[in-house]
Amino acid sequence: MENELSAGVTADLDVLEFIQNQAFDGLYYHSLLGPAYEWVNASFWQSLGYGPHAMPTAAAARCAAMHPADLAAADLLLAECVQNPQQPYDFVARYTHLDGSLVWMRCRGVVRRDAEGTPLQLIVTMLNITPEKQDQKYIQELADHYSLILGSQSVYIVKTDNEGNYTYANDFFYERFGYEQDIIGTSSMLSIIEEDRSKCLDMVMRCFAQPEVSHQVILRKISSDNSIKANHWELKGIVGPQGEVVEILCVGYDVTLLVENLHKLQHLLDVTSQQNVRLQNFAYIISHNIRSHSANLTSLVEMLTEAEDDEQRTMFLQMLQTSTEKLADTIVNLSDIVAVNSNVNKPKAPRVLRAEIDKTLETLSVVIRQHAIKVEVQIPADLVVTVVPAYLDSILLNLLSNAVKYRAPQRPALIQLSAHRESGFVVLTVQDNGLGLDLIKNQAKLFGMYKTFHDNEDARGVGLFITKNHIEAMQGSISVESEVGVGSAFKVWFNEKS
Amino acid sequence: MKKANLAYVVEDDPITSTITKLLIKKNLHFKEVQTYANGQRAFDHLLSVLEYGCDVPDLILLDLNMPLMDGWEFLDAFARLPLAKSVCVFILTSSIRPEDIDKATFYQQVSGYFSKPLDKRNVALMQQLFQEATC
Repeated sequence: MENELSAGVTADLDVLEFIQNQAFDGLYYHSLLGPAYEWVNASFWQSLGYGPHAMPTAAAARCAAMHPADLAAADLLLAECVQNPQQPYDFVARYTHLDGSLVWMRCRGVVRRDAEGTPLQLIVTMLNITPEKQDQKYIQELADHYSLILGSQSVYIVKTDNEGNYTYANDFFYERFGYEQDIIGTSSMLSIIEEDRSKCLDMVMRCFAQPEVSHQVILRKISSDNSIKANHWELKGIVGPQGEVVEILCVGYDVTLLVENLHKLQHLLDVTSQQNVRLQNFAYIISHNIRSHSANLTSLVEMLTEAEDDEQRTMFLQMLQTSTEKLADTIVNLSDIVAVNSNVNKPKAPRVLRAEIDKTLETLSVVIRQHAIKVEVQIPADLVVTVVPAYLDSILLNLLSNAVKYRAPQRPALIQLSAHRESGFVVLTVQDNGLGLDLIKNQAKLFGMYKTFHDNEDARGVGLFITKNHIEAMQGSISVESEVGVGSAFKVWFNEKS
Repeated sequence: MKKANLAYVVEDDPITSTITKLLIKKNLHFKEVQTYANGQRAFDHLLSVLEYGCDVPDLILLDLNMPLMDGWEFLDAFARLPLAKSVCVFILTSSIRPEDIDKATFYQQVSGYFSKPLDKRNVALMQQLFQEATC
């Protein structure tokens, strides 16, 4: 059948005419005997953009339109084919289009020989493969473009399957988190710090629910240098042909510094607003105290000038004297308070708590003996606290002298001191069986300035205020439990972390 | 003219207390002025006054910052007392804290807020308010 068909075709000149002029994007005959001669068909020149009346006719015109490198390769290939009849003639040549662009031609040829095997002619058919070449080039560009993005040194690009196992991770991700082995197939969830895992899961669930939008989350992860890095991630579901989520694409970047700065800023803001409140309070208290004395002085002077007799005059003078003394005391108190408030960064040093308490008890030993107060100290002799030494002295003296001052007269006084460690703090407890306080009424005022709670003549109302300030200046805290008629227990939390 | 028989001065500072006592005796013409070192003492006394049917004060000058029972606590306790006649209460304090002045307006019994010192101007104002007060 095939033979029959080709016999018919070979006989029919119209068919030969069709094959020669239209079946290919180009065809030429190149003579291999005698002077170089070449016949090039019209469709070749049309492929290069030449119109029917402008086609080059020179013998070397086709070779001139060919890329020089390809021309050399074509000559080599031809030489091989002439030598070896088994060698197929098939290669891709670049030609220059009339507009200067490249036209890619797949050239397949055959060497015609006579009965003795002498090469007579090279017949070459050409197919224009420029569109395929352009597609290929575009794909290559795209691939280069994406590999450039994936190789980014500031963005993590990760993909996971629906179970959260890695299916892809870019080099930067490997580098930053110090993975030495392939992580593909391992769980992405386990690398995230425990507190953030539920947040991550929540986001993945949202990707399943709404794969078309991106979902953002900040997750923390241990990096190669063992520090915790906060990363901002954008998660998106990759949808398969059936519209179901097949993978999760995660693009992330490091926001550790940002988060740290945010925390620092927040802390600073807290400190500042605390200080602001304290300062405002302080301003009012100063004005209150100084005003009350100055008011007295003003009134007394006026009354003194209008005094009716010597007896009154003496009384007013006496009161004037007391008032000026009190004003002086107030100013001393205020300067104590200012000193605490202005020295936030005094250096800390380690102190043996037991030894410091013994020293304070020695200072108070006279009153303790006078009132037959029993003091029990249950503090390990080697327990060390890191404190501003002067503050510790003041705190201990204040708490212990309060316990002495506010003892209950109707029962033998007992002061118990103990200490223990608790999550980064040393907690000192000073417990007494004294008068006690109604905390429901007084909790808010207890550590305030110029608040006194008992009918006690020598209460200044600054002791616990200064104590609280001292403790807070050392990043610690103080709490109290108390009951009227039972006693009080003050707990001081010394910060051993910072 | 409203009667000015008995006044209480509730004030923890003894000197201020004495000065205030002298001033209102002289300028507001009170026959008797009693001083109390804090709200609790004044309140306790009022309780026994009620029990034994003695004289209830016509005026109370009340300081705010005091131990045991401060001015606010006194006002809360005082509001619950079954008094036969109304008593004029003036706050007399050295506090100029805006919150304190605001807070005082919420207490119906308080007829005036005075910042120390109790000078001539304040005394005149106090006298006028005392006469006008519905209490």
